[in-house]
Amino acid sequence: MLTDTPILEVEHLNKRFGGLVAVKDISFNIRGGEILGLIGPNGSGKSTVMKLVMGIERPNAGSVRLHGKELAGWPTHRIAREGIGIVFQHSRPLHRQTVLENIKLALLPDSLLRLAADHSVDGTARAIAERVGLGDVLNRRPSTLPFAGLRRLELAKAVARDPKVVLVDEPFAGLTGPEVAMFSDLIDDFRKDGRAVLLVDHNVKSVAALVDRVLAMYLGEHIAEGTADEVMRDETVRRVYLGGKIETHARPEINARQGEPALDVRGINVFYGKAQALDQVSIHVHEGEFVSIVGLNGAGKTTLFNAISGLVPSTGDIHWDGRSLRGRSPASIARGGVVQCPESRELFGDMSVRENLDLGGQHLPSAAARAKQLDWLLELFPILAERHAQPARTLSGGEQQMLAIARALMMQPKLLILDEPTLGLAPVILEQLSKALTRLRETTPITVLLGEQNVTFALPHADRVYVLEHARIVWEGDPGRFAAEMGTGYL
Amino acid sequence: MLASQILIDGFAISALYGLGAVGFTLIFGVSGVLNLAHGGVMLVAALIGWFVASEFETGPFLGAALGILAGLGMAYLTYFIVVRPIQRSRVIPAAEQEIFILTGTLLWGIMIQVGMDYLFTDNPVTMRPMFPGVVNLLGVRTPRNELMIAVICWVVIGLLWLLVNRTRAGKQLLAASINPRGLTLLGFELSNIYLLVWSIYGVLAGLAGVLLASFLGVSSANAGQLTASAFSIVVLGGLGSVSGSLVAAYVVGYLETITAYLIAPTLRPIPALLLLVLVMYVRPQGLFGRR
Amino acid sequence: MTRLIQSRGFWIALLIVIVGAAGPWWLSAYILGVLTSAYYFSVFAMSWDLLFGFAGEVNFGPTFLIGLGAYGAAILNSTMGYAIPICLVFGVVVALVGGLLLAVPALRLHGPYFGLITLVSVLLLRNAIVIFASVTGGEIGMTVPDVLSIDANVNYWYALAFMVVCAIILFGLSRSAVGLILQASGQDAIEAAALGFNVTKHKLAAFCVSAAFSGLAGGMLVFYLGAASVDTVIDLSIAVQIIIAAVLGGRRTILGAALGAIVLLLADEALRPLGQLNTFVVSGVALAVILFFPDGLLGYLLHGKEE
Repeated sequence: MLTDTPILEVEHLNKRFGGLVAVKDISFNIRGGEILGLIGPNGSGKSTVMKLVMGIERPNAGSVRLHGKELAGWPTHRIAREGIGIVFQHSRPLHRQTVLENIKLALLPDSLLRLAADHSVDGTARAIAERVGLGDVLNRRPSTLPFAGLRRLELAKAVARDPKVVLVDEPFAGLTGPEVAMFSDLIDDFRKDGRAVLLVDHNVKSVAALVDRVLAMYLGEHIAEGTADEVMRDETVRRVYLGGKIETHARPEINARQGEPALDVRGINVFYGKAQALDQVSIHVHEGEFVSIVGLNGAGKTTLFNAISGLVPSTGDIHWDGRSLRGRSPASIARGGVVQCPESRELFGDMSVRENLDLGGQHLPSAAARAKQLDWLLELFPILAERHAQPARTLSGGEQQMLAIARALMMQPKLLILDEPTLGLAPVILEQLSKALTRLRETTPITVLLGEQNVTFALPHADRVYVLEHARIVWEGDPGRFAAEMGTGYL
Repeated sequence: MLASQILIDGFAISALYGLGAVGFTLIFGVSGVLNLAHGGVMLVAALIGWFVASEFETGPFLGAALGILAGLGMAYLTYFIVVRPIQRSRVIPAAEQEIFILTGTLLWGIMIQVGMDYLFTDNPVTMRPMFPGVVNLLGVRTPRNELMIAVICWVVIGLLWLLVNRTRAGKQLLAASINPRGLTLLGFELSNIYLLVWSIYGVLAGLAGVLLASFLGVSSANAGQLTASAFSIVVLGGLGSVSGSLVAAYVVGYLETITAYLIAPTLRPIPALLLLVLVMYVRPQGLFGRR
Repeated sequence: MTRLIQSRGFWIALLIVIVGAAGPWWLSAYILGVLTSAYYFSVFAMSWDLLFGFAGEVNFGPTFLIGLGAYGAAILNSTMGYAIPICLVFGVVVALVGGLLLAVPALRLHGPYFGLITLVSVLLLRNAIVIFASVTGGEIGMTVPDVLSIDANVNYWYALAFMVVCAIILFGLSRSAVGLILQASGQDAIEAAALGFNVTKHKLAAFCVSAAFSGLAGGMLVFYLGAASVDTVIDLSIAVQIIIAAVLGGRRTILGAALGAIVLLLADEALRPLGQLNTFVVSGVALAVILFFPDGLLGYLLHGKEE
């Protein structure tokens, strides 16, 4: 069913946001009846590529051609009318309309004067609903549908547009096993219809069965292309996603630790609307332990940390130091010694490095304690001493990460939660961070909970490892066993 | 002579506008609220101040002090009765919160205006000057009161600058305006921060109201115009930018004064309104706006 | 069409209209007068709801459009003596032109800025009316030589008929295919664009419809009262009342806005013994409704049981 000439041709696509290059010289083709997977971690630029094709962002340079017609820079609605459809990662139904009305909307022409829809629209909408499995719920409102139902509705809208090219963002996020199979079939139908499909995802494994080819991206650039297998085995891809060779320093004496865990998390469930972000997750951390939670983007690490820090509502038990954290405000949890350094760092960009650190130390008992803590941290991260008067936003990525960690450490936390500290950082910076973490462990009794996708960074310091995949803990054990059991199958 | 008069009057009125606008912009910058009851808060402070000073023969200073307290009280009422319930509401969708706060504070402002009208009628009142007498400045006989008001405004603005940039509490306010989530992660309760900023706002608006009563007089019919002026100045200068509000206050103050003296007093507010519309179309984020 | 006749809502609405039309026989002349104004007010509120509820744009100065229509019609009538229908059409044209001048740049702005521009436009119009007092009568207002009728009953029926026709058109628009597209544009502009709809075009069209109906209703009101003044058609307090009426009645229902307008004006009258404080009470109640029942009367009745 493959056409000879590509339906969609993307060439030398470039996009900059201020000083940040999000997409650098990306090119690919998709033929009719073909599914291309665009893979990359957070910050790789894959979502931006999708937005550029759809016209939601305008490219700085490059060409997007549909059947030879240049579309780059066009407004979204015209690109849609030309024949490109998109299924967004987060479902976007009209909440005040029924399922049937939502689908009908996708069939309407862009006309100001049509008061009544064509007679055929109703019938077509019903047929499409049947095809995606929504035939029974046509007159219900989206808020009454389960999560998978909303995803079906998004697919229905895409089908209704009868597009030549379909862009699908994270097709299986939040779906259970059987639902994933059903969705795969529906996407496969697009291929059978002769359409060109672009699947965007974090994870080669989850789309491997469906795609014909894969293009891997990292930090805006193309790093590998080929079949799914080829890309999964590619050296560059493995180094960049996993961090290279996995080294561990197993410390069996830590595992013999007895007594109640300092952090005890049991049966946590978190829902974002209908999507289940965490499913019966339980972990525990002993005092002085370094525990790494390993998982790809979207697995649920950030959600877990936010649940512990009280930033998102959850059900289940969270105990710290013997006491429940339920009912406490996030600020109070932070003051209680559980300090999170989030993936987004949350620095005060317009304030200086020194001011950021000072704010971190505000809850310490005295000015002397603050000064002492500040001195110690500036020794741990000397680059911050150099840049102490500069506004935080002028620092490089690695320096900002160090500032974020230092600021969190100013609070003298008992439990430090680090969320993806290595995201987007160069290897030399990772070395420095790694050294700082080692010194931290050697000189203080601090307990650390680290969430990372980069296994090479996560393992050397860890006493124990959890693996989080699609909202569930799927593996627990010590780092040595991880390398043996999970290493190859991880990507 | 006329030029000097315009220079002096313009300076004084701009200083007063600046004080009111700074409070307005602070509330927006730190807690994201556009308080359309701003004129109402100033009005209450002004009328209470005048009432106490004239009815109880206490002299203008005590009246002013009580007026400022009234302003503070009104700010708290606005926060606790209107703004906070909407921010914490579970029935109002998050995307519409801004609109609801605008409408809610608008309604509250009307309630204040009508209430004050009922209590004090809408006759204009002026507070007895705190600094009587006349001074000869640049060849113009200027009421000492007018000069002192300009001085007070600038001293207070200076104190505010010191507060924000040199004290711990001030740094927290600044941080909250940049990244509230970051502040929560560092163990600060945002509710305390908001309480602090509304307190500062109450004092600033209260003082602005009292000084206005002393300088030009107020009437409950003015409340809407006061809000509109502050709003326009703040948007002109850039929502959330304190320095922007001050510059814009002087632009508007002088535009109005020049219009009143050189064209016609009735046309006073027009050039500023036209400028605002122009800026909205050409540079909607204002002169110094961030967002 | 058959579905419409089968719906309970249709028969209830029809009953209400018939009862209303019989008004002159069972209501006092005083109440008739209040209702006549209320019916015109309903059209103000329904036009506002079309723009807000459907295009998602909050217009803090609907009286800009109403005032343009009112004064446009009034000035043409008093200076040139043209018949009422011609003046009404002229009023609509003035409102449309003014509305477009405002909307085309303003729709590019987001969040509070659009609302601010609409607020400022009212202040500007008010000032313009006062400056050009020789033509407009300034603060005092102006009278018009022609009126719709001198009979209170006939005026009542004109107003009722006008309201019903506008309600049918606006409600019909809201339920049409175009209405669906508008709802999408207002709720989620990116999704609407991804489905192939030119959001700006649709929002502009919604603004024009809102402007046309507002201007027409403004003109009708002038020919009912026999006069135009800033206090009746431009003042910010009128603008606020329109917003209150629509929110009170139920946003995004069109008919709720009409309900809210009638309830509001009747309540205003009922509380007249309180003197000025009636505004205080009404604003207070409106505030309470916003805080606790943001979906309004009709919204609550229709959807309150759903969630």
